[in-house]
Amino acid sequence: MSEAVDLSFLLDTERDLILQVLQRDEELRKAEERRIRRLKNELLEIRRKGAKRSSQRYSERTCARCQQSLGRVSPKANTCRGCNHLVCRDCRSYSINSTWRCKVCIKEAELKKATGDWFYDQRVNRFANRPGSDVVRLSLRHKPAASKRETVGQTLLQQAQRADPKNSPGTWQKSPQDRRKGPSLPSEASVPQDAKSDTESMENMSLDGYRPGSTGMAASSRRNSLDKAASLQEGKQTPGPTGSSVSTLTVPIHSRDAHPSDLENEVHLESQSGASADENETIFKKNPRRILRPADYTKSVIDLRPEDMGRETGSLGDRSKSVPGLNTEMDEVEEDIDNLVEIHRRRTARNSIRSGTSSSTLGSMVSLYSEAGDFGSVSVTGEIAFSLSYELQTQTLLINVKECRQLAYADEAKKRSNPYVKTYLLPDKSRQGKRKTTIKRNTVNPLYNEYLKYEINKSLLLGRTLQFSVWHHDRFGRNTFLGEVEIPMNSWNFESQVEECLPLHGKAGADSSSPQYKGELVVSMKYIPPAKHLGASTSRKGKWEEGGELQVWIKEAKNLTAAKSGGTSDSFVKGYLLPHRNKGTKRKTPVAKKTLNPHYNHTFVYNRINPEDLQHICLELTVWDREPLASNDFLGGVRLGIGNGMSNGQVVDWMDSTGEEVSLWQKMRQYPGSWAEGTLQLRSTMAKTRL
Amino acid sequence: MQSSGLQPDSAVLAWAAQKFIPWSIKISTMTDGDYDYLIKLLALGDSGVGKTTFLYRYTDNKFNPKFITTVGIDFREKRVVYNSRGPNGSSGKAFKVHLQLWDTAGQERFRSLTTAFFRDAMGFLLMFDLTSQQSFLNVRNWMSQLQANAYCENPDIVLIGNKADLSDQREVNERQAKDLADKYGIPYFETSAATGQNVEKSVDTLLDLIMKRMEQCVDKTQVSDTANGGSSGKLESAKPEDRKCAC
Repeated sequence: MSEAVDLSFLLDTERDLILQVLQRDEELRKAEERRIRRLKNELLEIRRKGAKRSSQRYSERTCARCQQSLGRVSPKANTCRGCNHLVCRDCRSYSINSTWRCKVCIKEAELKKATGDWFYDQRVNRFANRPGSDVVRLSLRHKPAASKRETVGQTLLQQAQRADPKNSPGTWQKSPQDRRKGPSLPSEASVPQDAKSDTESMENMSLDGYRPGSTGMAASSRRNSLDKAASLQEGKQTPGPTGSSVSTLTVPIHSRDAHPSDLENEVHLESQSGASADENETIFKKNPRRILRPADYTKSVIDLRPEDMGRETGSLGDRSKSVPGLNTEMDEVEEDIDNLVEIHRRRTARNSIRSGTSSSTLGSMVSLYSEAGDFGSVSVTGEIAFSLSYELQTQTLLINVKECRQLAYADEAKKRSNPYVKTYLLPDKSRQGKRKTTIKRNTVNPLYNEYLKYEINKSLLLGRTLQFSVWHHDRFGRNTFLGEVEIPMNSWNFESQVEECLPLHGKAGADSSSPQYKGELVVSMKYIPPAKHLGASTSRKGKWEEGGELQVWIKEAKNLTAAKSGGTSDSFVKGYLLPHRNKGTKRKTPVAKKTLNPHYNHTFVYNRINPEDLQHICLELTVWDREPLASNDFLGGVRLGIGNGMSNGQVVDWMDSTGEEVSLWQKMRQYPGSWAEGTLQLRSTMAKTRL
Repeated sequence: MQSSGLQPDSAVLAWAAQKFIPWSIKISTMTDGDYDYLIKLLALGDSGVGKTTFLYRYTDNKFNPKFITTVGIDFREKRVVYNSRGPNGSSGKAFKVHLQLWDTAGQERFRSLTTAFFRDAMGFLLMFDLTSQQSFLNVRNWMSQLQANAYCENPDIVLIGNKADLSDQREVNERQAKDLADKYGIPYFETSAATGQNVEKSVDTLLDLIMKRMEQCVDKTQVSDTANGGSSGKLESAKPEDRKCAC
């Protein structure tokens, strides 16, 4: 968005003056970021209190905000026109012309104003499609949403802080990092802020105090630039030996990449210090004006370049924290108000208003992922009668659910059960793979005689397991599990269509038994070795672009798990180039909304990759459902590498690629300069179980 | 006061460096985030039209007759209270607004730097010197610079003819300037940083425009997909839309 501004014409004194201005700007911005964070927290608080959280099915007749029963109200007159939720009178705010919105909508509108998002959103629109010869490369490296708040001042300050190996004296960059700490200092391990929005995390930073080294925010480090003002040397950091890190940061246009949309970068900086520590020492000595700040630890994204991958291994353990299956699944909550609004509107509103059936979706969604939907604990009894057939012409599996017998009572005291049958073709537990019968009221011997259909290729079907589960439907969403049964399809005799009757049993050992099917990711990769590549973009960044370039074309995903009500996901793909799981190697596609088969068509570019690096690095791609108000949901992931468990001579747990992951990587290595494409099964967890 | 070719000498720069000192002390008390909106304005126009003195008058209510060329960019801050007015003229809520007023160098040699900052501003004070016909003629150029570099194609702008106190040296008459402003559909003020005339008024007008646009933007995004009928279908028509962005 912001092109490089050539400042070489500035005199030293002028440069210093401008830097001072930019630092003041940064202070203001930090205050602003703190403020915004506070505001967002307020909104979160309000929303948390609202009823529309996924843990409960909400009744159509209750207020979406306070859960008060609404009684017999006219849906029309009581629907908030902002979000289409039914809202009681107490939860409304009336405007002067007697229209009203629900409190959350009002709050969101206020936030949009107060945070300046109204402005940044427009600006993003305006500059999103900047024409120009470089547009392709720009778009390749574009990080779309993360940093719409970036300002020119920020960029320039970053630019200023970026050391430039080639022309040190003439430029105003340098970033004396106060990196005294070892590569894996303990405080990193306890930095849990990964899951923050960009604004939030920016605030975190500023809240945490000043870090002289500063995060990619031009923001940070006023001291840094005071240093600059005092002694303008440095700027001579030499690229590290392996230098496989990402160089995009060295180019102003990419400075967005340096934008700390989360704090992962913290890990990073420490590790790079070794080589330049001495330099820094001297600089600090030269620099009497250094101001002491609280919390003087340094984090930086600015000079990612000279990095030795090996050094990072020390902190790897901590880094894995953002990977699902290891720790929390908290990650990637880059919210902006726009998204708050979006989600808020989409969440359940329309569905629940339109049709009674879909109002149940939330409840059963939950049962899917966490079984939190199971509000009872009955001892399973009874059996289910059904028959199966497969229609070759239509490639359809027909399940005739006939009846259940002697089911358990969901409510033992009242001797009541309102059972329905739900099916999945495991391992696909996605929403669109769910089928349900109707609900039979007040019986433990329900007669359904209903057909559930799956359109599925026969050969695929044979790899699946049909799961029936029986649930008691509760009006208030407190469904109770009544039993289940699983039938592997590979051993089923589809010729005989006789009725089967199988006893129900309790829950099998959750999902641990079989790896969950999470869909596939279609990726094309190209490695451009150093020599061939230089001419491509000499104009702007030729000097920096030593080393080869790894291009990762994220084409599409298929059959993703649905994470949102309505059976869709708003997914995006995030990439890291391990061992660096940090801001510097982080890439993200735009969010593909409302689809389980998203076409991203987005390319990640990694620079400064030498051919020999390819056996030490690993591309981690994870797919996420964007959930701005909570943690994003993990939808699956892959790791592409040689999969030998080693990197730079050390044993690492993330070099765990298998099968197609390895072969695609090798194919890419084998044919530099040409695209290697593959369809990869998404892992259901990124936990490092394979070692 | 045309000084496009002027190179600031080191004495001036030293002075300029010093002038920040009291200012930065003041700022430190202002970075508390205790405000409702951060609004970023930017002053632009030819060198010597009085952008810096104008802003100095606005923020500190003081006048510095000395010409010190701005090095690239600078900004000042001010807290104001903005009273939102309801559609029927009733006074609504009062908001604390923190203004960040960017000052840009008018000199050509800083142009690449200054125009880069256009995109971060929410509104613009486009200034010319009433005693310089040339600075007025250049308003058109500045307008096109704005249209190309601002956050949207029709940002909020006020046109300001400064140095109104120097009536004997006046080269631009009010009619001329007013016509130009009308052509662009923006308000026009004749101001004097020396006397303070219209300084506050022009900034307040700009702020008002921005705040109104902000409301409209937010309104629009929320109303954008109204599927529900009900009693509340009048909001949009209550706020007529003319020259605002598609947001």
